[in-house]
Parts: sequence; structure tokens; C-alpha cells
Amino acid sequence: MFPAPQTRPRRRWVSILAVAPLMLAAACGSGGSSDGAASASGAASSSGEACAPAGGKVALQFWTWVPGMDEVVAKWNAANPDIQVTVKNTPSGNAGTYQNMFNALKAGTAPDLGQIEYDTLASFRLQKGLRDISGCPGVADAKSDFVGWAWTQSQIGGPGVYAIPQDTGPMALYYRKDIFDANGIAVPTTWEEYAAAGAKLKAKGIFLTHFPQQDANWFDGLLWQAGAKIFDTTGDSVKVSLTDPQAVKVADYWQKMIDDKVVATNLQGFSPDLYKAWNDGKVATWISASWGYSTIRDNAKGSAGKWAVAPMPQWNAGEKKAGNWGGSTTGVFSGSKYPAEAAKFALWLNSDPAALELANAKGGLYPANVAGLELPVLKKGVEFYGGQPVFDVFKEAASNVDTTFQWGPIMTDTNRFLSDGFTKALNGQGTLGESLKAAQTQTVAALKSQGIAVTE
Amino acid sequence: MAASSPTMSSPTEVSAGRREQGRPWLWFLLPFLVPFVLFYVVPIGYAIYQSLFRIQRSGGIFGTSEQVFAGLSQYRDVLADATFRAGVGRVLLFGVIQVPVMLGLALVIALILDSAVARLRKFFRVSFFVPYGIPGVIAALMWAFLYSPQLSPIVDLLNAIGTAPNFLGSGLILWSMANVTTWTYTGYNMLIIYSALQALPQEIYEAGRLDGAGGFRTAWSIKIPLVFPALVLTTVFSIIGTLQLFTEPVVFQAISTNVPSGYTPNMQAYAVAASNNYSFSAALSVVLAVATFVLSFGFLRFTQRRGEAL
Repeated sequence: MFPAPQTRPRRRWVSILAVAPLMLAAACGSGGSSDGAASASGAASSSGEACAPAGGKVALQFWTWVPGMDEVVAKWNAANPDIQVTVKNTPSGNAGTYQNMFNALKAGTAPDLGQIEYDTLASFRLQKGLRDISGCPGVADAKSDFVGWAWTQSQIGGPGVYAIPQDTGPMALYYRKDIFDANGIAVPTTWEEYAAAGAKLKAKGIFLTHFPQQDANWFDGLLWQAGAKIFDTTGDSVKVSLTDPQAVKVADYWQKMIDDKVVATNLQGFSPDLYKAWNDGKVATWISASWGYSTIRDNAKGSAGKWAVAPMPQWNAGEKKAGNWGGSTTGVFSGSKYPAEAAKFALWLNSDPAALELANAKGGLYPANVAGLELPVLKKGVEFYGGQPVFDVFKEAASNVDTTFQWGPIMTDTNRFLSDGFTKALNGQGTLGESLKAAQTQTVAALKSQGIAVTE
Repeated sequence: MAASSPTMSSPTEVSAGRREQGRPWLWFLLPFLVPFVLFYVVPIGYAIYQSLFRIQRSGGIFGTSEQVFAGLSQYRDVLADATFRAGVGRVLLFGVIQVPVMLGLALVIALILDSAVARLRKFFRVSFFVPYGIPGVIAALMWAFLYSPQLSPIVDLLNAIGTAPNFLGSGLILWSMANVTTWTYTGYNMLIIYSALQALPQEIYEAGRLDGAGGFRTAWSIKIPLVFPALVLTTVFSIIGTLQLFTEPVVFQAISTNVPSGYTPNMQAYAVAASNNYSFSAALSVVLAVATFVLSFGFLRFTQRRGEAL
């Protein structure tokens, strides 16, 4: 198995190399590539747009960064001679592919289908890049086949459907069982217990976890679990509430952990430094998503058999709430001439048991499809985790993710603003609470600069 | 990028008689002019054009958007932007320290290589130049590992002796980047100065020796003033490079928690473009280009005037 690639920063070092040519382009001054945002190609997609199969022989293009997706698609091509799909393997979304997609949309050369993470869907809809496929055959009926929140987010607040969910990243607690056992620490079930465990570990010179400066979407997952409502895009204007009381609660909690030096502040997420610290037992836990199992397995090989997975700590004892970090959808781009065929393929890709099994084996995908959660491979014990059937934990987490959480329309910006604030908090030049405030102000300004009405 | 293309065409020197037979020199210029216009003039023009617009939206959040003319309002926003100002301040601080240190080193090495006492001149000339041949991203990655508190053998060694400084901490990281840039470009600048030294006629040195000038005196009073134009040139290149600082901070972002997205103006322009705000990004780029232009030419004018005064 490869490490699952669907979430943002998995292999940041590799992606740096992948964007090296972009750096050169950027150094030459921005500009050359885009036309007015207004002239987005393709018809504006209004809700419930008619969507009938074109019939005859159809060729589709599909951009994705899941390893092994070409093999999955080969299965489809063999069974569907009239709808032939060509896969283009790209770097991950934020490593330049989203920008290429936006540029292709403006140039009218976008593919029919593309991989898009949940938090970026709204940005694509903002640029009129996505086709509403709710009217396409089979789409409306598929709703109950997918994990609730994933389907809701594919609707981006509206009645339309803009993508088919591919995979998700329900969150749980990865912890070093050996370290916890040796120090007589019980598995924390609440955030309070988690902090107490941190204090005990600190006395032993071990960090409870790391606070990743770049992974604002990790922090989003924590806000999600806490029930924070940071955005509302259902009306005519965006409601931005990054300083929602629940969000502030999460920020204050982690700020105290930083102040108490319980968490490491100098370890970047997905960095070789972090992996070494995991390997050496200097960092004992990671609140992370289902795909994180392979991140630890592949990068902290020396700690095999020492990790275990437990549900995410709770704000109130007895609750079972989980957050989500990452996961992608398969979207149909607005310029596609064959939306019905594209939607048919996207549904198959993300529901067919054989397709899901192969995508899990080759790309490590954790399906967003409810039936997919029952795949035999997701029932087995995982050797690296001492034989624990870790996916049982994630399956339960997936059903406990708040379905009403909404992303803002410019999450790339919002996450960037949050990360910028984290830099200060991690250096004692500010707090996480101030990061939320700054991100609020900056997000509002950025939305306005894109011509979007805002209520605070 | 601003580093000028080496094409030095001077059509004015073509004699008047030849000019009547058509313009053959034009054909020699075309291979330069066509890509220059296509990939340099047009994108810059387009960036300026784009920077004069803003996005207007109607029909709700996901309604229709259009670009409307906004005059210089993007420029007003750029100049008022706190991130941009902090970024410019940071690269200026970087340049004020790093450029003199690097060029000082380059000059000293060039003088040593040029002096008669230097042995293995060719070997050193090449080995000082080698870092320049290593792609910037690779160099930054390599240095990032050497700075890393968890992985670096150098940090381990320093910790064994005493306490290693936190190379990637908020206080030192800018200078850790400066070190990478210095390591990369000193050899390159050294070679430019060295070539200038080699081009000097030997008689001047003889005259100096007859007047009783030793090695140090020759370097100080003869060589340095005579290679002054080369120093000016390398300074201008360095100013341009400094303001465009990008690769090192972006690479260091992956291993340090101390590099925000708008760390340098170039990074900010890149991040803003990535979130589809092309007009603001274009305005950022244009302001940065103008600042680079003003600084480089300001420096040139300053040194020229100083030259006249001497």
C-alpha cells in the first residue's frame, strides 16, 4: 500500500520538488495565465439542470492524484467500451493542481472530471467550475449510499450536487501504547484527560503531540468536532464566524498546551523531524485521520507494534463526536460535454465494491461510500498497530462526524491566514485565540476583495 | 526575471551604406526579440493590465462575477497591506546584511585567487563555483537537513560541545536562509570579479611595484578601484535576487514552524494568485518589480555620480 495521498500535506517534501518549476514561474512575476474570472467556460450551472446521456462513443478525461487510480479506471474501461476514461496523474491539489484546474477552466481546456477535496469544492463553485449533476441519472438516488456529511458537503449548501464523495478522513487518537502503559497513563477519553496525560508525559521529557503550523486543516478538524460553525454559505452572503465560542474554546485549550510546553512547537507536520521524533518516542500521540495510519506506518517504521488507535477525546464525557481531516470528491467540471456519462463514471468509481477495494489497496483510500466501510480489508487487524483492527475505530468515527459543518468559499485563504497566525502563537508572539481573530478579519477582507457579500 | 539577457545588439554601429540594403540585422535580432516580447514584455504588460481590475459579483455568493475597472485601487490596497510591508521590510533587512557579506567574501576570494601566491588556482575557482550549479531547491533542502534540530549531524556536534543555536527558530531562520544564499552565490559573484581582475593589464601592477606597493597595497589601491564596475554589477544582481527571495523560505516552510505564507513579497504574490485573486497578485508583482527597478537603478546612479565626483 502507498500512503494515502488524498489529503493535503502528506508528502510535503516530495511536493516541494513537484512545484519547483512553479517556483520559477512565480519568480517571474504573476500574470500570464488567466483570463477574467467572469468568463469561466461552460454554461452557468443552475440547480436541477437537465442532464441526459449523449449516447454513442464518449471519451472522458479525469485528473487525480490517487496512486493506482489508472488501474481502477482500467477496470471501468474494460467493462464500458462506450465510455472510455483517460486518467492524468497530477501532483496533489494544493501542490499546484488546483491552480492548473482553475487555469484550464478559464482557458476552456479543463478535463471532464477531477479530484477535489471537500474544503476546496466551494472555491471551484465560486469560479463556476463545477457542473450541478443532481439532474444526471442515478445521482439523486445515490445520496443514502454515502456518509452523511460527505454528501452534504458535495452539495455546498445548495440544493444541487456538485461532486461524488470519494474518501473521507474521520479523526481519532493515535497513541504510543508502550509509553502510555509504561507510565501508567490510561487512554484519555476527554480533552481534560488528554491534557492531564500531557502533563505526566512532560515530566518524563516526552511531548504529548506536536502542533503543526502548516496544517490549518487539521485544526479545522478539531473545530469541526467541537461543533464550531465557522462558515455559513446558505444565504446570499457568507457568514464568517471564526471566533465562534466553540472555536475559541478549542483555541484556548491548545494555547494552554503550548504555554505549558506539553506540545512540541518546533515540529512541522509531515516533516522528517516529526517522523524521527515519533520513531524515538519523543512525541507520544497524534490526533489524526483514517489515512494517518499509513503516515505513521511508513515513516516511523522503528515504532512498529507500539502504536494503538482510540476514539478522539471528547469535550463532554460520554459523548462520541469526531472531526474529519481531509478526503476528496470526484467533481464534474462545468465545461464537460458529457456530464451524464461523467456522473455515471464518478458514481461507479466511488461505489463499486471492486473499485473501492482496488483504490484502497493501491491508494489507501478510506471510502466515503457506506457499503465501502464494510470492505474485508477494513475489518482486519493491522500488523503495525499490534494487530488492532484500527478501522473499527474510524468506522464509528465516520458516523459521528457533524453533518452540518460548512466550509467557507475561500478555504485556501482562510487556512493560510490561520497558519500565519499559528506561526506567531508557536513563537510566543501571539495566541491561537488571536490567530482566529486575525483569520476572521483577513477572511472577511479577502471575501470582499472577491466581490462576495459578508455578514459577521 | 530581471537578470538581463546577454544579447548585446547595437544596430547603431551598422554603417549607413549597409543600411540601404534592407535590414539584415533585424533577422539576427528576431531570435531574441520574439521570445523577449512573447515571454517578457507581454506578460508584464498583461500583469499591469490585470492589476487595474477588481472582481464584482452579483446574484449571491455563487452568482456571476465580472472584472470591473478599478483604477489604482489594488495598488492602494497593496501599499496598505501589513503583510506586504512586513515582507518588504524583511527582505530589505536580509539584503542590507547578506549582500555586503557575500560580495565582501567574493571579493576577498577573487583577490586571493588573482594574487600570485595562490596555488591550485583552477581547482579553487571551480570548487567555489560548484554551489551555483546546484539547483536552488536542492541546495535549500540540503541545508534544511543540516539545520534540523532532530536530524542534523552539525546540530548534534554543536550540542555535544555546548548548546546548538536554533537555526530554524524565529530569531535565526532569516540568517539561516541568508547563509544558503551566500553559499550559493558567492562563487558566482567571485567569478565575475575574478574575470574583471584577470582583464587588468599587468603593467599597472609593475608600476605599482616600482612605486613600492606590496600585495595588500596593490589590492586595496589598484585592484579594487579598477574592478569597481564589476562590484557594482554584482551588487545590482544581488539586490534583484534579494527582493525576489522565494525558494529558501518555501522549502524551509516544510521543516520549520516559523515561515508564514507572506514571509517575502514573492511568496505573498504566489499565495494570493493561488486563491484566484489575480488582480491583487498582479499589483503585488508590479509594485515589487518597480521597487526592484528603483533600487537597482538608484544604486547605479548613486555609484555613477560617486564615480564622477572622484
